[in-house]
Amino acid sequence: MNKAKVFKLAKGFRGRAKNCIRIARERVEKALQYSYRDRRNKKRDMRSLWIQRINAGTRIHSVNYGNFMHGLMKENIQLNRKVLSELSMHEPLSFKALVDISRNAFPGNKNVVHAPRKVSIPVDV
Amino acid sequence: MAILCSSSSPSMFAAQRASPSPAFSTKGIFPTKFPGISFVVTKPIAAVSNSRSFQVRCQKDLSVVPFDQRWMFEESEADGPDIWNKTWYPKAADHVNTDKPWYIVDANEKILGRLASTIAIYIRGKNLATYTPSVDMGAFVIVVNAEKVAVSGKKRTQKLYRRHSGRPGGMKVETFNQLQQRIPERIIEHAVRGMLPKGRLGRALFNHLKVYKGPEHPHQAQKPVDLPIRDKRIQKQT
Repeated sequence: MNKAKVFKLAKGFRGRAKNCIRIARERVEKALQYSYRDRRNKKRDMRSLWIQRINAGTRIHSVNYGNFMHGLMKENIQLNRKVLSELSMHEPLSFKALVDISRNAFPGNKNVVHAPRKVSIPVDV
Repeated sequence: MAILCSSSSPSMFAAQRASPSPAFSTKGIFPTKFPGISFVVTKPIAAVSNSRSFQVRCQKDLSVVPFDQRWMFEESEADGPDIWNKTWYPKAADHVNTDKPWYIVDANEKILGRLASTIAIYIRGKNLATYTPSVDMGAFVIVVNAEKVAVSGKKRTQKLYRRHSGRPGGMKVETFNQLQQRIPERIIEHAVRGMLPKGRLGRALFNHLKVYKGPEHPHQAQKPVDLPIRDKRIQKQT
């Protein structure tokens, strides 16, 4: 593309990358590659953020994310993670109702094998 | 079960729109255009937020666009911003330092790493449903009796703290015991700093940790609350 378009895309870049065409062209090409890649990454990052928020919201009610989602799947509640995270932030009472439903459907894994307790190591204070 | 919930949730939604529940309190300023639902922050102890927050509301209800300005907005936005299809991002008023909770924890006979892990979670804000990685949403944490923190095994004589001055041959090594004699606060600070993110935001978060040697601390005015600890193995076993 011609220089004017390159400089238009190079606005806000650091140092000579916004002013000198040879450097700007390289940086703009890289920026476009990053934006292509990140349009796909953004979907992953957002889902990861929703999961972290849901995890925090359920742990307030002593349930962790994995057990919560398992309980929802058992009850065939098809709310997606975006909506669940918004519920956990803006509608805490409704979210608590969902956590209770999940806890009734899946109270937790009773067959969890805990690691054997180490022989008590002497602790100095 | 699912049918039971769906019939009650409209009434729940309606109840929330009508009036905020007395158990939760609204916090902060509302310059943003939120629909009628007030923004609530769920915290482990609701009583503290009741005593500490003050309500600042705008004069008019900003959630509905006035008639003479409707031409500026698209049809879908006429009732206010879309909070269900856009992931929430905190505004400046949602993370003001003066409104953040303060927690206090006594380090006496607590295992160092487990204590530092819990502190780092609260400072970073990962216990909140409103957690955002790019924004400082966490709380302040005060640690007292820092010199009495415990470690298991032989770490007292064998755990080494290293630092380097930058010059050749400038590596300085000390044991846990020696550092505890010299600067006991640094042990907990070092542990927590290793558990916070490294970067500009991590350095800013580290400033929210206040460690003190004895049982006294100068932050009585912030009315710190006891830090809720869920780790069962954090207490030193005698």
